[in-house]
Amino acid sequence: MAGREELVQQQEIISFLQPALHMPQNWNYELASPVVKAYLHPPHDVGGQFDVPAIYEEKEEEQWELNTYVTCEVLGWRGIWNSEERRRRADNDLGYAMYLGIPYYGRWILAAARMLVDKKHIALSELIEKIAEVKARYARK
Amino acid sequence: MSHAHTPGNGGAEHPAAPTVDEITDFEVLEIAVRELAIEHGLFTAEDHRRFTEWAESIGPAAGSRLVAKAWVDPAFKERVLKDAVKACKEIGIDWAEPTGFGTPSDYMNLRVLEDTPTLHHVIVCTLCSCYPRPLLGMSPEWYRTTNYRRRLVRWPRQVLAEFGLVLPPEVEIRVEDSNQKCRFMVLPVRPAGTENWTEEQLAEIVTRDCMIGVALPRPGRTADVHPMHRARRPVGSSRD
Repeated sequence: MAGREELVQQQEIISFLQPALHMPQNWNYELASPVVKAYLHPPHDVGGQFDVPAIYEEKEEEQWELNTYVTCEVLGWRGIWNSEERRRRADNDLGYAMYLGIPYYGRWILAAARMLVDKKHIALSELIEKIAEVKARYARK
Repeated sequence: MSHAHTPGNGGAEHPAAPTVDEITDFEVLEIAVRELAIEHGLFTAEDHRRFTEWAESIGPAAGSRLVAKAWVDPAFKERVLKDAVKACKEIGIDWAEPTGFGTPSDYMNLRVLEDTPTLHHVIVCTLCSCYPRPLLGMSPEWYRTTNYRRRLVRWPRQVLAEFGLVLPPEVEIRVEDSNQKCRFMVLPVRPAGTENWTEEQLAEIVTRDCMIGVALPRPGRTADVHPMHRARRPVGSSRD
């Protein structure tokens, strides 16, 4: 269970996120409200949004990240998915938590797993069993 | 998947993550997806190996060669500006690799943007992270961040200044937003003090950042310097 300090820190991050809508009234009486429209904006379309200056750092590539890139590309090469579905839906239009919250290639591999299940190339139960098997395999080493 | 990131730790070099034996959730998922795809015959282990070999062969050196050659050979530069994918073949880069029709996510369409003393180009992908991989290799992490993508199209002068590139007001800045169907690369102005240099000498100062447009080439500047976030298990390291 999280300690008090951890809870306070989490609350602080959440409250930084929530009032991102800097408007006095954020309840909606009409479906066509500009607020609803803003909430429907796809999270990956970020050009022109405000942000603070940042340190632009490089990242050394993890082995699983390169493997993920190659797996996603080879799935495209062999016609299992195409660039359009990857860009618009699979990798990007995921909702704010998924899009902003997890690593770049984390999104890629989750998208690939979800696609394989959605298209019935593999069963969800099969994926779950495989994940357990891989975990067990490396836990023994 | 715990990250040692705390807000505001500034530009300090991240210390190497401690060696950890336990496997992360993403590593597990990556192995599971790859093995299931191979078991189901969606692709072969050989497909994966061949593509990996190609991915490990690409890098910004090809772009540097292209720029250096364009600087010394005006006819080649014309060909680059007219049909960059075709001109790439002259420096040994075939956009059709490694599948015969290019990579599944890099369309064979590249436009090279020529800078002048009064016009500077810089590239971004506001929707995802489109990048001319066959010519420049994998994109740097900062290029993929929402921060760079959010701000560059609106405050290019400020963002470039944060990269250390302060452009005088008389220089117009044009931001080119890459997309799924078209990739861009910057052809910078050949700097003064490089007269009589060979193509090899010139290529050394054309770093990746110069071809993205966040830096300018100059004699003596041969590397892009950014803080580095180290990997836990970098490419090439073995688990076993």
